[in-house]
Amino acid sequence: MKNKYIKIILAGSLLIGFANASTSCSNENLEDTKNLGAINLDSYFKNESQCFAALTGVYDLMRKYSGGFENMVTFFNAASDDFYAGGGSSTDGAGIQGISNYTIDAVKMPNSYFSDYYKGIARANLLIQRVPTASMDEAKKKRFIAEAKVLRALYYFELVKMFKNIPLILEPIDAGSDFYNIPQSDPKAVYSQIEGDILSSLPDLPMTVSGDERGRINQGNAKAILGKIYLYDNKKSEAAAQFADVNGTPGQTSQYGYKLVSDYSSLWITDNKFTSESVLEAMHTNKSLSDWGVWGGDTDEGNSICIMTGLRSYQMKTPDAPDLVSGWSFNTMTENLYNFMQGDPRAESTIFNAKQLVAAGKISYTAGFMDTGYFLKKYIPKTADKTNLPGATELNFRQNYIAIRLADTYLMEAEALGATGSRAQSLLDAVRSRVGLPSVPVSMQAIKDERRRELAGEGHRWFDLVRWGDAPTILAFKGFVAGKNEILPIPQDQLVNTALKQNPNY
Amino acid sequence: MNLKYSKCLGLAAVLYFTANYSAQQQVRDTASKEKAIEEVVVIGYGTQKKSNVTGAIASIKASDIEDIPAGKPEQVLQGRAAGVSVITNSGQPGSAATVRVRGITSFGAGSNDPLWVVDGIVVDGIGWLSQSDIESIEVLKDGASSAIYGVSAARGVILVSTKKGKKGRLNLTYNGSYGIGSASRKLDLLNATQYATIMNEAKANDNKPLIFNSPNSYGEGTDWQKAVFNNSERNSQEFSISGGNEKSTFYSSFGYLDQTGIVLSDISYYKRLNARLNSTHKVLDWLTVGQTLAYTHSKSQGVNANDEFGGPLSSAINLDPITPLVVTDWSKVDPAYYPSASPLIRDANGNPYGISQYVGQEMTNPLAFRQIQQGKYNWSDDFIANAYLEAKFLKHFTFKPSINGKMAYWGFQGFTPTYYLSSTFKNDKNNLNRVTQKKLEWNTENTLTYQNKWGQHNLTALVGQGYYEYNILSGQSTTYSNLPVNNWQDASFNFKVPIEDISAGAWDGLQTHKASYFARVIYDFANKYLFTGTIRRDGSSNFAPDRHWGNFPSFSVGWNVSNESFWPSNNIVNSLKLRGGYGILGNDAIDPFYYENYMVSGSNYTNGNNNVITGYAPLTLANKDLHWEETAQSNIALDVKIFNNIDFSIDFFEKKTTDILRRVDLPGYVGVTSTPWKNIGDMTNKGIETSLGYKKQWDDFGISFNSNFSYLKNEILRLENNKPYVGLAGFQSMGNVSRLAVGYPYGSFFGFQTAGIFQNQAEIDAYKNSSGSLIQPNAKPGDFRWQDSNGDGKIDDNDKVYLGNSLPKYTFGFNLNLNYKNFDLLVFAQGQAGNKIFQGLRRLDITTANYQTKILDRWTGEGTSYNTPRVTMDDPNGNYTRMSDYYLQNGDYLRIKLIQIGYTLPKSVTDSFGAGKVRIYVTGENIFTFTKYTGYDPEIAAGDAYGIDRAYYPQARSIIFGTNIQF
Repeated sequence: MKNKYIKIILAGSLLIGFANASTSCSNENLEDTKNLGAINLDSYFKNESQCFAALTGVYDLMRKYSGGFENMVTFFNAASDDFYAGGGSSTDGAGIQGISNYTIDAVKMPNSYFSDYYKGIARANLLIQRVPTASMDEAKKKRFIAEAKVLRALYYFELVKMFKNIPLILEPIDAGSDFYNIPQSDPKAVYSQIEGDILSSLPDLPMTVSGDERGRINQGNAKAILGKIYLYDNKKSEAAAQFADVNGTPGQTSQYGYKLVSDYSSLWITDNKFTSESVLEAMHTNKSLSDWGVWGGDTDEGNSICIMTGLRSYQMKTPDAPDLVSGWSFNTMTENLYNFMQGDPRAESTIFNAKQLVAAGKISYTAGFMDTGYFLKKYIPKTADKTNLPGATELNFRQNYIAIRLADTYLMEAEALGATGSRAQSLLDAVRSRVGLPSVPVSMQAIKDERRRELAGEGHRWFDLVRWGDAPTILAFKGFVAGKNEILPIPQDQLVNTALKQNPNY
Repeated sequence: MNLKYSKCLGLAAVLYFTANYSAQQQVRDTASKEKAIEEVVVIGYGTQKKSNVTGAIASIKASDIEDIPAGKPEQVLQGRAAGVSVITNSGQPGSAATVRVRGITSFGAGSNDPLWVVDGIVVDGIGWLSQSDIESIEVLKDGASSAIYGVSAARGVILVSTKKGKKGRLNLTYNGSYGIGSASRKLDLLNATQYATIMNEAKANDNKPLIFNSPNSYGEGTDWQKAVFNNSERNSQEFSISGGNEKSTFYSSFGYLDQTGIVLSDISYYKRLNARLNSTHKVLDWLTVGQTLAYTHSKSQGVNANDEFGGPLSSAINLDPITPLVVTDWSKVDPAYYPSASPLIRDANGNPYGISQYVGQEMTNPLAFRQIQQGKYNWSDDFIANAYLEAKFLKHFTFKPSINGKMAYWGFQGFTPTYYLSSTFKNDKNNLNRVTQKKLEWNTENTLTYQNKWGQHNLTALVGQGYYEYNILSGQSTTYSNLPVNNWQDASFNFKVPIEDISAGAWDGLQTHKASYFARVIYDFANKYLFTGTIRRDGSSNFAPDRHWGNFPSFSVGWNVSNESFWPSNNIVNSLKLRGGYGILGNDAIDPFYYENYMVSGSNYTNGNNNVITGYAPLTLANKDLHWEETAQSNIALDVKIFNNIDFSIDFFEKKTTDILRRVDLPGYVGVTSTPWKNIGDMTNKGIETSLGYKKQWDDFGISFNSNFSYLKNEILRLENNKPYVGLAGFQSMGNVSRLAVGYPYGSFFGFQTAGIFQNQAEIDAYKNSSGSLIQPNAKPGDFRWQDSNGDGKIDDNDKVYLGNSLPKYTFGFNLNLNYKNFDLLVFAQGQAGNKIFQGLRRLDITTANYQTKILDRWTGEGTSYNTPRVTMDDPNGNYTRMSDYYLQNGDYLRIKLIQIGYTLPKSVTDSFGAGKVRIYVTGENIFTFTKYTGYDPEIAAGDAYGIDRAYYPQARSIIFGTNIQF
């Protein structure tokens, strides 16, 4: 009898214990899951380090000039009269091939040129809204907001130059709002907004930056960006005023420490970063250990222009040949640019004359699509610059891209001054004398030619041609259609069920 | 000679239909098995007599599974249950299958997998399970039967029960088999001469210089397919011991499987070891304790399957036949492609493997590719276990608490040497990589059942409670680069490399927790009137706190007409049952935490000192309103048994899924990193399932035949933001080739409709629009004429029309068992029809890639072809680069999957050494496939692969010899 009761009690407690092994079904257990590695938006922006990390997220999109396959520089080089798309075949990269021969349409236009900059803008909008409530130094708050506003203005500037008719969004988008129906804004409104944003941000920015803050927005590069925006907005005198501050006395050091470097070829040395001539520089490093799975994404900090402009299956045949890494042969140089640059001292740094080296028996390479024998040398991948860290060699080149150089702002100021007058003359002279060229009388044509020679391959030529109205004639040989190709088509995916309308004639 | 055969049934607490042959009795195993007196079916949290089942449940027993070659547990379902479609994802050893119950229920790819429950343990698949351990599988197909699984049940529930052992003498069984397989079909690709001719012709058509000076000098060239396909082997050995007495029963098994693939078998293989111990113990009269424990260890390696961007199969299809397999004659190749300083891959004689001069990108010599993949492997160790108590008290109550879980460890190790496969595909830094991961998923369930019988009334009532935790996962990966050795045998993490050469990462899984309460009533009156009602209340942590919980009710009724008194007794219709039901089920299979917004790291930039700084950015747009999808399913059916031998049943069902969860495409200007989840769509599935069986046994001869046939119609009713369609799967540069479109089935193909080929310029000039201008002004003779579907006078994306479904409309299977004296024959076939397959085997952006011989029918002049356009590399008319019906083929097929002939040794022989049964057999697997599809295999996973064949690793045609021995 006793045994039986003991057994029952034992069994009973086993059962109860077993049943309690399951946790009770209350909301607590459902809510004790954590989103590891993420911070709830409501509890973010509390202190300086969080705000700085958010600011870094806004800077992230500076990579669009030179990072990933779909970067600004190679795309717009291919659009100009200086380069073809190149690559492996006529279908290697639908977007870049399409812009090179002006068969670009909404389906070929890559989405990322539209959506990547809007990522930067959305991050800037969030930061501008939330930083004021953080507990940190007030002056720093203002600086961060100013940097975000300038970056936002820069990203809108790139978008409005590319697509012209874009939505102007200045607040973080609320999930409950009718965000499918945001219409495009008048480009004038965009220009006026970004000009105002930079003007109001200038007082909160430092004069110069140094050490690990190099590359950040300061008064110097903010004014240069503003000047460029004014120039494209046809507000020439305002542009000239901004550039005057940035440039100072032609040939001398300006108040922001900018000065033309004496050796043009030193600008293209990989580890020669932040020269005195660099006004706005997009940073790259090999320390992100980038690999194919994240190529072009937020964690990829490599410069992709390098591998894209390398020669296919490049072989050195003699020890004195240039030691380069094989690449994908994009941005093959037109004969037109090659001929135009003959005799100019800058040709040595700009043109890689593969034709001549092959004829001399020094190298061999495989001709890619639209091969001309001439390649862009400024970013060509050199064996000495290969990364020694893990990660794909092709994706971890660390050469920075100088988005705005002092020579560029000199010439833009000269243009803004109407290409007449003594200041315009001395600006033009300073750029020329830096490479040892004699003075020529200043004129719009002289400035246009100088820009072409000085900035070849840096992604500016197409925007210049469109701004001057010269694109239809000069790019006719590529198939440029006036009234259509001055702006790009809105990518097809952006039009489905949104309020966006395609640009005319696409 | 009188042949007797007997069976015994399981015990009262857990009833399973088993076939047990004990050596003590006169036993003859025959291929035909007679129905037990009272067949029992496993339903959620219990069992039910088959005659009283009111839901739509497909039941598969161990005897049906015995004959299927080992290694593919999901395939035991294929073709055996109406409404259950099983598509192999790839013929690669160890690859899983995609299982769908009554079609596609939801838009997300992963969320169409049914819920797998093995012995009460919720698992994410049964790839680790040894087939011979399976006692029965029940597929709960309709709302009424699966609603008891609530928010996880909308895609169907599959209950698997493993063998438990019975009291009586010890049973030993041994199953061994060995098989060889080969590719059942190869593509017809061009040889070298044909290739050179076509390439030249394409260049000529584009007015460009020819590539080859003398195409005819190349002869046959290299047969790349022959280089990648080889014979496969499969070796399986399994033992099991089971037995018990009045107090305890046990079942234990051990198995070993070693399988190689038909593509480059030394880098495509799967090895598995498994062990199991199940036991039950009657501790007290009223208290039983039970457990199951399984361990599986596997090691495998695979080649890229269904991927046009690399991998040996895709290379074999696209590479030109002019490139030699191995360079032995240097006069035939250009030495510039074999740079002497580079680490070329060489064969055993030191000759480099051929590198193509014409086809580049990711296409590489498959034999060279094989060499650099040596020594890489995936491994896994899985522990799956459960334990339960069952206490009976107060005569009618049973209380059963249980705890269940799966602990998986798995990982990868591989060494990549320096190599040069082509100027695009090279590596100058070797590296050694090791990844390890661990995941635990567990649940507890407690149920209290009341069972009573009074007069003609029978009642079983159940209440229960459960709690589930998923995805408790962690992992890490370490890579060492620039090791001082360049082969995988010597590579080791013991080499100390500088810090710059070490990279490592780790990650944590995001968990989901679910909690539920459920209750069920099963009532029948005199086995004539049947009723089942269930309700389940589930909470899921994937949704916001105020939207965790949902309620999922169901009911079903049945009427056993043949048990009625008014039913005339006759020998024609033996039983007739009508049944019907309705249930509401849920689905919560999304990424967690999307109901809120978070700042996540990774938006990095570089600072002035070249160091990477971490940036944070908003992940997505918060969606507080996120809640479960609901599927409402109704089912009406008839089961009838005629002439004592024929079983027929037919089910009509309709399921409507509302508030489907999907990641929404946002306009680019919203600027978030990750798209949010939203409840945005509605979809219906309607269908008919029928099954027909016949069984008869005479003295020496018996026949058993089972077949099923089902029809399914799927239609999308609503999409996000009232869009008419959303693009689904893309293909290379074509953009989207299939869509989710309102009014059409899931994954419908949309593209241009061809309308013949322009045979001459006059036809082009005659193709005018209403205003008199040419519709295709830039076309040339030999190009496709495109249909101007919207009549607007020009050909653009608005002319894309519906071209066909990727989902099959009809699925069917049949099973034929014949036995004559000691011989038995099994034929099993399955198939599907009504779907189209997109054949995307060729890389469009590699203009010099090889073609199938179908291209030899191309247009070369007026009247030479009406369906294959002229060859061209530039392709201005988009003949080859546009999505059109040219790329779609019918995917209908009927495949004889198994033919098995077996012979059981006569009793006199087996008795002499004490064995109960010894049977030897030979099986042919995938013997014949009847299809018009020209690719490797028409069995393309319509759900996950969207019906697009990108060089699907085909299934092998094998012959297997085996034996079953029982003591």
